[in-house]
Amino acid sequence: MNLIEVKNLKTYFFSDEGEVNKAVNNVSFEIPQGKTVCIVGESGSGKSITAMSIMQLIDHPGRIVGGEIILEESNLLKLSDAQMRKVRGRDVAMIFQEPMTSLNPSYTVGYQIDEALRLHHKELNKQQRFDKVVEALDLVGIPDPKEKYGEYPFKLSGGQRQRVMIAIAMACEPKLLIADEPTTALDVTIQAQVLDLMKKLQDETGTSILFITHDLAVVYQIADEVVVMYRGHIVEKASAKELFENPKHPYTKALLNSIPKPGVTPRKSRLDTVDDTVDYLSFPKEIR
Amino acid sequence: MSDTIFQIRQLKKHYEINLGLFKKPKIIKAVDSISFEVKKGEILSIVGESGCGKSTTAKMILKIEEPTGGEILFEGADITKLSGSDLVAYRKKVQIIFQDPYSSLNPRWKVGRIIAEPLALNSDMSKGEIKERVLYLMERVGMLPEWYDRYPHQFSGGQRQRIGIARALALNPEIIICDEPVSALDVSIQAQVLNLLLDLQEEFNLTYIFISHDLSVVNHISDRIIVMYYGKIVEMKPAEALFQNPEHDYTQKLLSAIPKIDL
Repeated sequence: MNLIEVKNLKTYFFSDEGEVNKAVNNVSFEIPQGKTVCIVGESGSGKSITAMSIMQLIDHPGRIVGGEIILEESNLLKLSDAQMRKVRGRDVAMIFQEPMTSLNPSYTVGYQIDEALRLHHKELNKQQRFDKVVEALDLVGIPDPKEKYGEYPFKLSGGQRQRVMIAIAMACEPKLLIADEPTTALDVTIQAQVLDLMKKLQDETGTSILFITHDLAVVYQIADEVVVMYRGHIVEKASAKELFENPKHPYTKALLNSIPKPGVTPRKSRLDTVDDTVDYLSFPKEIR
Repeated sequence: MSDTIFQIRQLKKHYEINLGLFKKPKIIKAVDSISFEVKKGEILSIVGESGCGKSTTAKMILKIEEPTGGEILFEGADITKLSGSDLVAYRKKVQIIFQDPYSSLNPRWKVGRIIAEPLALNSDMSKGEIKERVLYLMERVGMLPEWYDRYPHQFSGGQRQRIGIARALALNPEIIICDEPVSALDVSIQAQVLNLLLDLQEEFNLTYIFISHDLSVVNHISDRIIVMYYGKIVEMKPAEALFQNPEHDYTQKLLSAIPKIDL
């Protein structure tokens, strides 16, 4: 069962000089219920714009010019702004890369988690919401959740802030969680904790996850399905197992070969690089 | 002795945090009595998580920060006591490549001027000689001569990092401190910059102190690795031995946390 189907999505950016940057160019993929799909690509490949398009957070000069985003039979691109506001946060929630800047420094952690509940669960009273916030903090592994309700973000470490971001995103039990490079700014040991946490939450709540990253090793750890993007196009799509065991597209191969593999790549040998002079779009796309 | 560039003994950096008028200041031991040596021609990596003191150590070696205690001997002389022309000479020999290629280049200066600045300040070369040297450096780091008159914003992250590398090489340093030089870059660009650093090291017989939190990069590039945790060195070993046989609990934890692709 697919939770979301993205069909022929096109998001373009228009400059004042009349140039068009096709940031997302005819992209189609599906996110199955309860599974994790990773979009992997380099900066400028269009992976974040794809995610932002699903949330419809594309701002001028960008515009979604075509395609469909089907969430449980309704096309999100056909919804009015007011209807879309109800989808955001409730059905689809997002966490961002920078836990330092994406929390509001002048509100307490609890208040910021409560905000989503106030907007989307008007039937709950204050006490019920408080309980839910504490439950969410507990779920993401923040110690003393009741005390932490009243803390300001500056008192928390980077890993804890990212946990709070996840708590905000998960507070309304979204059907889809979009995570845009959620661990890139974190230390490896904290990254491992956050990835474990996301997997645990998925097992418990059945949320689908769209995970955006440039780190192939993270993809290997977390993905069920992988979408490889290059200059606005999907060049390869496969299950994680197939992609890593048998990468087919030359770009995917180049990307995989450019990371040193401990024990395999000889120390100080020169690494393979993605060749700037090759137009990888000229190769057939490998959609499996 | 001759092959040791740096001898670092009991190096300390403590910061005082004032908690209030009548309270005792709290002491943060950012670097807490560490000792190690840097040998000529090696790549020595310092790894650890944010706040472990790895960057503070680098800053003390560069004399950006003054140590609270201990000694940093460079070719036998304590750098904390250097001043005047000795200090200038020292600074020429020790250069740095920064993590963020976006904020470490002056956006209003052209590439040529950025790379020429160390030469203009520290050498008595004529304008023509400087330009010749800059163009030579640009070629060495894989940049085209026509980029001389471009601004940093016209380049991608990887190309900007090449500009930073050319600037670090300008004065023929003996040792370059690479502070997370590839962690802001895409994987494919990372590979290009790592290859470049390895090529330059061989060509110019450089020594690197490589600071990073990315253990697979560190494993690939290093001869020896120092693992730091809360201001202390917990393990110091040749790269191979560290990865095959990590002894300290923290090293083991760090190694097991790296996401791996094992097929």
